[in-house]
Amino acid sequence: MTHATRRTTDALDVRLDDVTVRFGAARDELTAVAGLSLEVPAGSFTVVIGPNGCGKSTLLRLVAGLLAPASGDVRVGGNAPAAGDGRVGLAFQQPRLVPWRSTLDNVALPLELAGATAEERRDRATDALERVGLATAGRLRPRELSGGMAQRAALARALIGDPAVLLLDEPFSALDALTRETFDAELQRLWLDRRRTVILVTHSVAEAVRLADRVVVMTPRPGRVARLVSVDLPRPRPVDLTGDPRGAALAAEVRSTLAESHADELRPWSGPEATV
Amino acid sequence: MRRIGAALVSLVAFLVVWKLATIIGGYPEFILPAPEVVVERGARAIASGVLWEHTGATVLEVALGFTAGATVAVLTGIALGKSVLVERVLSPYIVAAQAVPILALAPLLDIWFGGGLLARVVICALIVFFPIAIATMVGIRSTDPLLDEMLRSLGAGPAQRTRLLEIPSALPVIFGGLRVGVTLAVIGAVVAEWAGASIGLGVLINIANQGLFDTPLMFVALAVLAGIGLAFYGLVVLVERRLVSR
Repeated sequence: MTHATRRTTDALDVRLDDVTVRFGAARDELTAVAGLSLEVPAGSFTVVIGPNGCGKSTLLRLVAGLLAPASGDVRVGGNAPAAGDGRVGLAFQQPRLVPWRSTLDNVALPLELAGATAEERRDRATDALERVGLATAGRLRPRELSGGMAQRAALARALIGDPAVLLLDEPFSALDALTRETFDAELQRLWLDRRRTVILVTHSVAEAVRLADRVVVMTPRPGRVARLVSVDLPRPRPVDLTGDPRGAALAAEVRSTLAESHADELRPWSGPEATV
Repeated sequence: MRRIGAALVSLVAFLVVWKLATIIGGYPEFILPAPEVVVERGARAIASGVLWEHTGATVLEVALGFTAGATVAVLTGIALGKSVLVERVLSPYIVAAQAVPILALAPLLDIWFGGGLLARVVICALIVFFPIAIATMVGIRSTDPLLDEMLRSLGAGPAQRTRLLEIPSALPVIFGGLRVGVTLAVIGAVVAEWAGASIGLGVLINIANQGLFDTPLMFVALAVLAGIGLAFYGLVVLVERRLVSR
């Protein structure tokens, strides 16, 4: 029953064409991204990496339909995205669970907004919690969850509508290193099971190489694409790629591109200028 | 059990201090009657049925006035919290109405609203309105913007966000306003009765104080008013415990 009612949308491609986004007005205006163009093939795993404030999160908000560009064009599967149209799932850096709802009711929130019956909500939320390994946590309140459990619940909420495109905004960055590696592996497994289009934003070069078909390196603000690095390593990939010569070489390539793109910020603090 | 014990001890201590004051001061009954005199007067007022009549009228005014005032205040507070324009347009009038002494307004409102129960409910509702409306506005504005963005990303419209996020997260603050408002409702009822009523505890105070010089009866009326305030306050706290679970 639950599986019959679930949408089985195919993965969709994502296109950004010469997009500019500005925040604020008049003198306080800030150009977050300018001339950003990117094609994300349907079913691919794309990782976006770049310096702080380069517009990585802005990119995700454009694709999620939370933000309209000042100029340029954003397309998901050929159409303009609209928040809540069910094609896109978004998970944030913070779990953003509603504190007075149970974990199950938090996960079911997208279905509730879409007008699903109580029975369907319960069945599918239970199912989604199982997929992220939280089968027994449905009755708990968010404050009773550990950081990792809360983030998995947030992932379940993003996945429950079976979106064609999954957007992840540094979803595991608040977790400790080992938990993060485990979560990356689980995320890879989820994606191998069901090849939806994934765009993940991260600060971690290792995470980018571990997960991506393709790494998008962005420039500092106003952000645009500095370089695309293809990662054609076989899957499933091990958690630790440092021993793999090709993985290490790709990581070095991503790192050097990042370093070029924001050389100013990476200057040593104790350089000659600092002693003036 | 311990809480009830503490309340009982403080009540006994209060009565003892009161009794001592009358003994040491030796005041005449029309200035400060002894506790047992007040209790005896209360028993007579109950027996004659006078107290019931007046208490019933005041309780009705408090209940209706508080309910009406709180309902309008919460709705207004939501509008104030959600729209800067609404706040700019309405807040000068709301603040001005609050700054004008209700004692001065009450006789006018009594005339406008026909001098009956409706007039007293309106006066009561007016005094209740301000703290609840402001608390609701502040509560609505304190909604976590990260949760709001999460709901928007799921396609939730303004009405859904109000229902699912803004009201529940404002609830503890709204109940802070309701606690203040419900005690003001008792004051509002008495002021309204003074402005022109023939029944109610405010009227009873006037009769006892100015007509009969029956200070013990005035004390009885004041004690009942305090009791009404405590009872309604307790009711609000009870509902709060049910609804606010954190």
